[in-house]
Amino acid sequence: MDEFGITVEEFINAINEFKNVSDQINDGWRIYENKNEIHKSYLKKESFINFDLQGELTLCKVEYNIFYNISYAVPSFSFNVWKSNGTLLTLEEIRQLSFIHIKREDFYSVITQQEHPLFGRPYFIMHPCHTAKLLAQFKLNSRNIIVTFLSLITPLLKLELPLEYGL
Amino acid sequence: MSTNKELKVVQYVPFKSFVHPSFWHSFTDIKLNIDKLEEAKKDIYGRYTYREDVGTVFEVDGTSFNKLPETEQYYINVKGTLINVNKLEDFKHSDKSILLNNSGEEVWLNVKSKAWITEPSRLINFFIYSYSDLKKYRYYYWFGFPCPNQPTVYINDEPVLITTIFNEQQLEQLNKGFNALDLTQRHYFTVTKNTNFVTVDCLSKILDAKKQVQSKNDINLSITYFAFTDPSCSTSPGWPMRLFIAALLEHCPDLYNTEINIIGLRYSANGSLQKSQVYNIKIPQTSETSGEGVGWVGWERNEKGALGPKLAVMSSSMDPIKLAESSSDLNMRLMKWRLVPDLDLDVMKRTKCLLLGAGTLGCHVARNLLNSKSIFAHIPMPGYPVGEDLMEEMYNNVKLVTDAIVEHDVIFLLLDSREARWLPTVIAALHGKIVINAALGFDSYLVMRHGVGLNAADAEGEGLRAATVPGGRLGCYFCNDVTAPGNTFAERTLDQQCTVTRPGVAAIAGALAVEMLAALLQHPLGVEAPAVYNPDNKEIDSGDDGVLGSIPHSIRGFLHSYQSVLPTCAKFKQCIACSDVVLNAYKDKGTEFLLKVFESGKHLERITGLEELHKSAELSDMLAFSDDEDQVNIDNE
Repeated sequence: MDEFGITVEEFINAINEFKNVSDQINDGWRIYENKNEIHKSYLKKESFINFDLQGELTLCKVEYNIFYNISYAVPSFSFNVWKSNGTLLTLEEIRQLSFIHIKREDFYSVITQQEHPLFGRPYFIMHPCHTAKLLAQFKLNSRNIIVTFLSLITPLLKLELPLEYGL
Repeated sequence: MSTNKELKVVQYVPFKSFVHPSFWHSFTDIKLNIDKLEEAKKDIYGRYTYREDVGTVFEVDGTSFNKLPETEQYYINVKGTLINVNKLEDFKHSDKSILLNNSGEEVWLNVKSKAWITEPSRLINFFIYSYSDLKKYRYYYWFGFPCPNQPTVYINDEPVLITTIFNEQQLEQLNKGFNALDLTQRHYFTVTKNTNFVTVDCLSKILDAKKQVQSKNDINLSITYFAFTDPSCSTSPGWPMRLFIAALLEHCPDLYNTEINIIGLRYSANGSLQKSQVYNIKIPQTSETSGEGVGWVGWERNEKGALGPKLAVMSSSMDPIKLAESSSDLNMRLMKWRLVPDLDLDVMKRTKCLLLGAGTLGCHVARNLLNSKSIFAHIPMPGYPVGEDLMEEMYNNVKLVTDAIVEHDVIFLLLDSREARWLPTVIAALHGKIVINAALGFDSYLVMRHGVGLNAADAEGEGLRAATVPGGRLGCYFCNDVTAPGNTFAERTLDQQCTVTRPGVAAIAGALAVEMLAALLQHPLGVEAPAVYNPDNKEIDSGDDGVLGSIPHSIRGFLHSYQSVLPTCAKFKQCIACSDVVLNAYKDKGTEFLLKVFESGKHLERITGLEELHKSAELSDMLAFSDDEDQVNIDNE
């Protein structure tokens, strides 16, 4: 298999393109640019979702980030879900919400809670080790690597990706 | 207006606070590093959205403490106050109505001074009243959104969608006009529906801030719509409208007994305004003037629907110990799923370890174990006589160490001398505890486990033909010695007394000690897991291995050659620490026996019969030599 990796510049171009499409369809992704350290620029989307937590419908906020992993040279995905008092949902709670469709064993080997390299607080981060392998298969056919990347994640996460991104 | 319409009291949808985890991070950081004991009020920002699909959520996050608020599409920023008190008692017992009234008075000052007309953002205020237990990462907090409880106004029938009054073209003009407004003017504004076009203006265009009181005749109420960005997504208006009406009536008292139209502006995700509502408000005739002497409402209700504070327990995402625990727990779970399916995680969690010695070695072991509680005790040692003055302290220390050993499952001996290991070895042997012993030399180390239990005599006679020694019959640290420990610090220079080791040695020995325990706990036989005499013997049945492999009795490593050997030895029946005669002497005579030992280690040699052994073999000279060369080198740390 060919080595896969994108440069920071490719990443920045891709997130800008992606954000333009998001703006057109009001999908809510925002770019947080870091001009001094360009590799620390990232995409973020937040939305409110009502979850059934132990039989009680609870308003939660979900945050998704797409940021650049400098070691693996790939886009990385992180997210967090929290309740109105700021307490985070646990990984097991999130898994049980079928917010993510994945077997328990596989789930924990793909997603781990760790200190976010950009925010310094705990986030659920999808491990980047498989990303390169997967993206390598699509690199030649991908019009936007962020769209390709997200489309690989969406089967796992309840993160609707409007078709417009592919058009 | 026709009278057959139903008049209803306007019910406002209150704000629901929503705290981003980063708010608590910034809160904690500021409290610990800047405010410390200061209880001063702090300016903060909050925000609500007029997106029709979100609801009356009022958000604060890490940027709330910034000097200038972050701007986000479809969001309105509100300046508020954080009032944090240091004592739980103060938090509980302070007069809550005064807090709310004070915050309300601030708003009312802006109404009186007409500041709200030029700067409509000053009509909305909020505050957070809080108490935090930063050690436990528990935050009690209570949001207040002050609003006068007067006047009560009515709505003519149901509110209507804006599309019933404005056509598509007019809505587009409204949209453009709104977007042209300065961010500080978007809280409250006016919309004028002329025959040909719709204009959006600042409040100050319609209301004269210079006039103390304005007549309604200055305003063409038939084409003027008062407007606000509406956080509500139900048919009822959001909280900001309540303040708006109170302020309008204060400025324009002859609006009493009239009807006004108010637009609640609501945007959809696609930028459409079609979900906006128009409220036709009937203001009753009233003699009361609002404002002064009027009560303020606006405390948020908690999860139970009661007027009371909320609690956020953030320890699982903020407490470094909890975070380390969860990440190591996760690491173990991953290990179990992929690499070692038979791993027993519970036994790892359940096992309580006592670390005796908190030097470099102790710290390395603690790091691998994630240990946390500490006690401080001087461990009495053989060959260190106890004077009268210190007798009581000695008793206390023996009790402290004994109690600690009894309470724990595993005892790590990580002390800095051979003699300091004696008492814990005896006590642990007596109570049948697992002992993992680690000792360092300059560039060598020893990590070993002790056999558990009495009856060392049984170990004799199996002969060297056996391939393994059962775990319970393994020797202790002192089993290979034929001299009692004494004062090894006597007649030594500083570099000889202190632990002078290569920096990697403690880390290696500490890691091996923890891994040895892990393997032992995972072994189906536990402490009885056998140790093989000769690990290179290919004929040994690997059925003795545990989940994490075979467990040696001891590991002696040498950095000098980067090699390690795994010697195994059985209990020595004349051992000065774990032999029956010593354990029984301690059991029978207790501290009286200990005192004799502390007086001189020779007492041990006497009761174990080692003295006899020395004499009969005339080995004294040779042993003295061996004590210096082998044991002492490896006894430091």
